[in-house]
Amino acid sequence: MIRIGNASGFYGDRLSAMREQLEGGELDVLTGDYLAELTMLILGRDRMRDSSLGYAKTFLRQMEDCLALALDKGVKIVTNAGGLNPEGLARELKAKTGAKIGYVTGDDLRSRYPEALTANAYLGAWEIARCLEQGAQVVVTGRVTDASLVVGPAAAHFGWARDDWDRLAGATVAGHVLECGTQATGGNYSFFTEIDATRPGFPIAEVDEDGSCLITKHDGTGGAVTVDTVTAQLLYEIGPPEYPGPDVTTHFDTIRLEEHPGGVRISGTRGSPPPDTLKVCLNAVGGFRNSTTFVLTGLDVEEKAALVRRQLHDAVGADGLTWTLARTDQPDAATEEQASALLHVTIKTPDPQRAKGFSRAAIELALASYPGFHVTAPPGDGTPFGVYRAAYVHRDEVDAEAVVL
Amino acid sequence: MKRPLGTIAGARSGDKGGDANLGVWVRDDDAYEWLRGFLTVERLKELLPEAGEVSRYELPNLRALNFVLHGLLGDGVASSTRFDPQAKALGEWLRGREVEIPEEFL
Repeated sequence: MIRIGNASGFYGDRLSAMREQLEGGELDVLTGDYLAELTMLILGRDRMRDSSLGYAKTFLRQMEDCLALALDKGVKIVTNAGGLNPEGLARELKAKTGAKIGYVTGDDLRSRYPEALTANAYLGAWEIARCLEQGAQVVVTGRVTDASLVVGPAAAHFGWARDDWDRLAGATVAGHVLECGTQATGGNYSFFTEIDATRPGFPIAEVDEDGSCLITKHDGTGGAVTVDTVTAQLLYEIGPPEYPGPDVTTHFDTIRLEEHPGGVRISGTRGSPPPDTLKVCLNAVGGFRNSTTFVLTGLDVEEKAALVRRQLHDAVGADGLTWTLARTDQPDAATEEQASALLHVTIKTPDPQRAKGFSRAAIELALASYPGFHVTAPPGDGTPFGVYRAAYVHRDEVDAEAVVL
Repeated sequence: MKRPLGTIAGARSGDKGGDANLGVWVRDDDAYEWLRGFLTVERLKELLPEAGEVSRYELPNLRALNFVLHGLLGDGVASSTRFDPQAKALGEWLRGREVEIPEEFL
């Protein structure tokens, strides 16, 4: 059995989670997921400003705080915090800690998609496994599938073969449960009133040689691991029951869950060969956006909305504006807030000056519009926005590489 | 009896590019048999009128249905002008809708 924990479900997750997982009990490997479609865009903008960036900076801080502890306990760290610059993060870690650092590259396909701000293939588990086999104490990757952070260490530990489909599928399920951190242990959980969800502990998968696992968490941590909390996370961000990945296609309709004194047992998962293609996450700058919310209180809500809409259209043009009137107001309300509707407006435009001018136009209405005019927060200068698209490339056209420093 | 679906069903939703996914599950096999018959694509679209094209998948092993709401989020989370651009609360919206639930499951 190999005990694999998770200490991050997104870039911005609980900073102390790494220490909590290391101090809370036994682990062999500690993983962290820092990447999402949106995060790739955020890191892409970091990289535009400074090409030495593009990785999750909070992970570096966590390592400065916790790597000595991890090494002391013999816990290996595996994370996708490398983002768009795994080599940069690996070199920074090497310089700061002197530990044996592995990194995975080859996901960056910008040369193939020159119009994109970021273009990254979802790599799999085998380069992570390679780094660990070569003795890496920390492995940082760029865009690998979230589940690979668990599959890689399990495959390396048990010496799985590339066609051990059921084992790989089992570990993929463990990885899917872990990848969003506390969403598996009672965070964001429909039946939260039945558990103590104040501060859920981070999840752990005890993976067995056959790919089955026990989902659990350290003793004394909050939240819960039940068939229901695990089911909730299994249903997160999935499509058809055949779940394609870079290393295996996992059949979600074969997963069996069982309540267990230590948590939840997952078994029975079947796998089959993966598709010939790898998915590519593409982000391009789509233009600039800005938004504000007008508060419409009391009588004549529709007419008030129509007036402000007409005024803003006259000032900046109707093109690229999206309006939503949320009728949160109640008639004859006992509180001012209950008497108020919210009129959201967003501008999306290729022209940054127009996105900025939107703010001025909205604010200039302050004494010249509907009675009771106010906004929930003044609009800012506008920000660039990304357009996400998925593409697919043949796996032979991607050269994934494992390097150990 | 007309009660919120969330009285007996849990849900979790999220984003995949411009699509949203919405998983719904119940806690015993009889309730799943009912849910499977009740929560058709048409019914889901009635309950969530903002949904456009919808695919539905059955996961009896998890007593769950998974719906993919195609194109709900436009060009993805960074570009969407939806109130909830990552579809995080879509499931809780569904759970709040009142539907006819057989009394034996309540």
